[in-house]
Amino acid sequence: MIDDLCNGPRDEDIAIAMFYCDYRDQQEQTTTNIIGAILKQLVARSGVLEDVRGAFQKEKSEFGGRGLLLSDMVQMLKQVIAMSPRAFICIDALDECLPKHLLELLVSLKDILEGSPRTRIFFTGRPQIKGEIKRYFAARVVVPISPKTEDIKRYLERRLEMDIECDAMSDGLRADILRIFPQKIAGMYVTESAVFPPCLLY
Amino acid sequence: MDRTAYPPSISIGDGNVDCGNVTNSHNTVNVKNVIADENLEIMKWLSPLDPIGRHQDVRTDRLDGVGNWLLETNEFREWRSNEETADKAVLFCYGDPGVGKTYLR
Repeated sequence: MIDDLCNGPRDEDIAIAMFYCDYRDQQEQTTTNIIGAILKQLVARSGVLEDVRGAFQKEKSEFGGRGLLLSDMVQMLKQVIAMSPRAFICIDALDECLPKHLLELLVSLKDILEGSPRTRIFFTGRPQIKGEIKRYFAARVVVPISPKTEDIKRYLERRLEMDIECDAMSDGLRADILRIFPQKIAGMYVTESAVFPPCLLY
Repeated sequence: MDRTAYPPSISIGDGNVDCGNVTNSHNTVNVKNVIADENLEIMKWLSPLDPIGRHQDVRTDRLDGVGNWLLETNEFREWRSNEETADKAVLFCYGDPGVGKTYLR
């Protein structure tokens, strides 16, 4: 998706930042570090880098390299976004964030969005965090994700092509794998797709 | 000046290509290196996390075409559109573990 945004119309000037939450990095993935990681992807392309450099040099000389506060980061991010024609922020696996960081992150992003109606935010996460998204973003578009039979088939075909034990494979077995697996896997998620229509637009 | 005093950086090639004066070229490279080093330091100061590295891993692992269906949905198109409408600002794709959320294209 990020690559699709990057490969969009050439005359369109867009700024894209992404972040992948990971439960294995929970301690380090604080709100400040996440907002900082988003900021550093956007800052290079705007005139704000010099302001950031000024802040960096000041903290380094006067306070021995002290880091910025979350509120400073959010302000800088707002400034950077205001200077970009369009900004996209994509955050994967929100549910893998520690709860206190997740709420702080959503509040910060809400704050950033409010001043910038053309900014777009993309989140992925488990169904459990739908409530949090709803709480902070009254207007949102929600899409349930389930594995598509076509995608599973394409993936299996590739894996079979790269199979190192190709002598063990026969045409019949290959056909069975490609027929049965996509059905079974798609079936594992059918209950959810039946409960939630594919296009839920609140 | 001794160019080995600075670690090599991405801008190191720029100064050398069309420059006849070797001494001058080294000076340019060194000044560029100082700025590049400080930029790297600033980036680390902003955040020690490296989402771009992770993105590269996801891109490498992803099979071409998988997840393309999302790009065709009206939900995605409206979110992607250029309108100044705050009601489409957030797109949330949810699903259970392992359904392929990270690998949406």
